[in-house]
Amino acid sequence: MSFSMAGEEDFFLEEKTFKQYCEEFIKHSQKIGDGWEWRTSKDFADGYLSKTHFQITNRNVPPDPKEKNNDNIEQTLFMHVEESLDDSQVDGDCATAEVIRYEYHVLYSSSYQVPVLYFRACFLDGRALTLDEIWKSVHACYQARLLEGPWDTITQQEHPLLGQPFFVLHPCRTNEFMSALLTSSRKENRQTNYIASWLSIVGPVVGLNLSLSYAKLASEQNTGADVI
Amino acid sequence: MTDDKDVLRDVWFGRIPTCFTLYQDEITEREAEPYYLLLPRISYLTLVTDKVKKHFQKVMRQEEASEIWFEYEGTPLKWHYPIGLLFDLHASNTALPWSITVHFKNFPEKDLLHCHSKDVIEAHFMACIKEADALKHKSQVINEMQKKDHKQLWMGLQNDKFEQFWAINRKLMEYPPEESGFRYIPFRIYQATTERPFIQKLFRPIDSGGQLHTLGDLLKDVCPSAITPEDGEKKTQVMIHGIEPMLETPLQWLSEHMSYPDNFLHISIIPRPTD
Repeated sequence: MSFSMAGEEDFFLEEKTFKQYCEEFIKHSQKIGDGWEWRTSKDFADGYLSKTHFQITNRNVPPDPKEKNNDNIEQTLFMHVEESLDDSQVDGDCATAEVIRYEYHVLYSSSYQVPVLYFRACFLDGRALTLDEIWKSVHACYQARLLEGPWDTITQQEHPLLGQPFFVLHPCRTNEFMSALLTSSRKENRQTNYIASWLSIVGPVVGLNLSLSYAKLASEQNTGADVI
Repeated sequence: MTDDKDVLRDVWFGRIPTCFTLYQDEITEREAEPYYLLLPRISYLTLVTDKVKKHFQKVMRQEEASEIWFEYEGTPLKWHYPIGLLFDLHASNTALPWSITVHFKNFPEKDLLHCHSKDVIEAHFMACIKEADALKHKSQVINEMQKKDHKQLWMGLQNDKFEQFWAINRKLMEYPPEESGFRYIPFRIYQATTERPFIQKLFRPIDSGGQLHTLGDLLKDVCPSAITPEDGEKKTQVMIHGIEPMLETPLQWLSEHMSYPDNFLHISIIPRPTD
């Protein structure tokens, strides 16, 4: 594990370490089939984690934090989508507005040396959701966390690799909560995957859930952090 | 040095003569005259075009207030990029005035960020400044400032007040006496031809031997195609604030004197005109 330790237990994540954790993360994702993949930019070696999932709003299915893995939900949702589309053709109603496509990207910020969560959502007809609409689809208990959490705000920003508008959870205070988390796992000699830990905290507030099996994901490198 | 302070002023007061024309498909009650304006290079489109908006809304049918957006030769203009950057990147080798088309309908959701109020511009501007200071000083200088100092940076930009802005910004341009420069240089390199909107990487102003890195060193490291001539002829120009700085210029000096108010060096790589 390579973390740079500044005087105050700052756990800065180096880019190559970020990539290593992502590789490990992807391997686990492929094992449980929850849809994360690694994408690279066309012209450079930069890459990011990406996941797309679909959700039906009218059926009021909030992300279930107790759900063990998400592939069951995705299968179910796809079935529901097909059913409602068939119905719509019979009745003449347009049911496509009910289905929302969520896209989540995890990029590395070299300026803050932390991962950053980018996300966007749109209806099947391509209409983008506003931030308000996304927030409304987040489970109520996470809405409270969003307001009290150790992050600034969610704002719309340009995706640094795709150049398109995404919503972003501001990264400048990531170090605060990650330091606390990583310090305690080091004390317990528990190995962690930084990305899995981080995503399990920030993900749910924006509708992204992580299977509990990620908690077992241990770093394959040496135990303990190298103090530089 | 007096000369260096002059550079700060020249950068701040740079202007681009612009002609705004209403998109022909917008529905108007009478013909819309073009509107001419000198745009500050260092500011943002949505911050300085209130008069443009009012001018065109006067001739339009009273419909629901819709968000204004700008386009140049079919390309939606990103309001969150400084005006000077947009001009250098898209139109620097074309005849003046810069001809921008004004739209009120069909906002291009996939290309442009929304800008519903000045608060959005302020938030974006301050986020850039904070990121630049994270690179230069591990955020120490910006975090030590009071909220009123942050506000002064924004008000200086919004009201075009050079002295007001630099009274605070000079602190962001300092570095510890034992160092020779910032920790990393805040920069972004833009090329209109790539899908990737810009290149941004960690880059130190000093090399391992204590020598100042130059603009040429930066480009060689992060964007070598910009300066290595193909077939012996340089196909591109490297432009900041409408000029081509010498590649031997120390990056630290450029960062201190030719950054935009957001404290970033926004560098355009554009095709060299072939005449």
